[in-house]
Amino acid sequence: MSPMALRSQNLPGVGTKYEFKTDKGDTVAIFFTRTGTIQMYTLQKGCKTPSAAEMTPVEARRLGNILTGAIIEADQESVEVAFSALADLRVTIHTFYIPKAIIGKTIEDLQIRAKTGATVIAVSRHDHNIINPSPSFVFEDGDAVLVIGESDQIKKFESEIMVE
Amino acid sequence: MEGFIIALFVCMVLALISKYLSIPAIPFYILAGIVLGKAGLGIVQSDEISQFFSEIGLLFLLFFMGLGLKLDQMLADPSKLLTAGIIGLVVDMGIGFTAAYLLGFSLMEAFIIGVAFYITSTAIVITTLIENRKLMMKEAELIIWLEVFEDIVLIIIIALLSSGDKDLLFFFLKIVLGLGILYVISHYGKEFLVSILDRDDETPILFTFAAVLTTASLAILFGIPDTLMVIALGAALATTDPDAFEQHARPFKDVFLVMFFVFFGVTIDFASGMDLYAIAILCLLAVFSKLISGMLIGLAIYGSALSGLEIWANTISRGEFSIALAVLYGSAVVGTVIAALVIVTTLVGSFMAKYSTSMRRGIVSHSRRKALVHRPHNSGR
Repeated sequence: MSPMALRSQNLPGVGTKYEFKTDKGDTVAIFFTRTGTIQMYTLQKGCKTPSAAEMTPVEARRLGNILTGAIIEADQESVEVAFSALADLRVTIHTFYIPKAIIGKTIEDLQIRAKTGATVIAVSRHDHNIINPSPSFVFEDGDAVLVIGESDQIKKFESEIMVE
Repeated sequence: MEGFIIALFVCMVLALISKYLSIPAIPFYILAGIVLGKAGLGIVQSDEISQFFSEIGLLFLLFFMGLGLKLDQMLADPSKLLTAGIIGLVVDMGIGFTAAYLLGFSLMEAFIIGVAFYITSTAIVITTLIENRKLMMKEAELIIWLEVFEDIVLIIIIALLSSGDKDLLFFFLKIVLGLGILYVISHYGKEFLVSILDRDDETPILFTFAAVLTTASLAILFGIPDTLMVIALGAALATTDPDAFEQHARPFKDVFLVMFFVFFGVTIDFASGMDLYAIAILCLLAVFSKLISGMLIGLAIYGSALSGLEIWANTISRGEFSIALAVLYGSAVVGTVIAALVIVTTLVGSFMAKYSTSMRRGIVSHSRRKALVHRPHNSGR
């Protein structure tokens, strides 16, 4: 098997298995089991017994976010609030550290609301916070933004604006 | 009816306890049945209602097995599976059959006991592999596919046993015709089936339930084994949307299969002239035969006795299919033997599966220590 080749396989009664070998020869295997849990095994090169972690889907998604680099803050990466009185209105608030690509650009330049529907409601810069930044607000290196919107809009924001 | 409710309640408590202790629930259900039933307190009797529920449980167990038969995805290396499968079949069935026959069972009874020896519990084996986090070990994949191999063997055995003394040609023609109809329905009605399954209301679950029961009763009407046809129905529907069917059939399977286990226990009667000594020997042999077959498979496939030990530790448990055989074809005595067999092997099996890794580690470090002790001695010369 060549390095990084991802192998997926259906195991009867168990679920789906994904396995790949890293460049350094370690093996990572993920099992989406029928019981709904996700098991991740890592096997160091030269070792015989893997170590395993079992996760709920929520935990697995969190791990996925960490691995894709979307989440820098460990704790409050994303909060979803549901207002049941308002026809089950759901809003998500998400923090991001801005990528290099948007340094020096304004919110208006990026057309954040038009492109994604999400709104930047705060920016954290050098230990102080700017609430409700204006459209002409210019991003600087090291800024962390707080974005609010529906979960789909946040996803769009992540894929359209938070790209390197 | 009160007995039925008591049994249901006891099962619920037992299910909670077994989940808490993370050991398989099947032996507890059978033991509960034995305690509540004929052989024990006599609170719960088997009646028409319980028999009906048990039957549904069995049908859904077989339907599920059919759904899981995705033969197109067989292991990358089928010859490996075939080797391992045949070793297991010959060794386990051989030991079970011979021992039972020598202990004075009739040929037919010995054969059923032999098959019960061979077929492991897919549910327990898979669940313990997941719970003990052993999915990545190299033997796991083979063990998982061996369960499918056993399913196929079981289907062949059911077909053979149910053909019995009937007019064989006519009998097989009817089966082929039945299979053909199922194939046509699932192939040409695929879009219709998927559109039913996609609905949000009660129709998908109603449809699944009706499909299984209709197939079973039509099979009986035409004189072909309902067990076989329900497996075939599962296999045919697996070509449409197996996940949806599993999801809709699961509640029926979960509830009725528990009833099936309990009422299997209830009908066990210790008075039916059985020999405790013979039962004990068979139970021990059931654990031991898997050790031999596991070792042979480990040596044949991986060239390693440690792999054999691991295969053994994870395939000791017999369960639902052994009981199904006892219910379908076994006499009262065979039922008692298989009940004991299931209880002993599942308890031993769950213990061994849990501690096999440390057992393995112990053996490895022991032999390493030995090697260390010997080496300076040898190199000093």
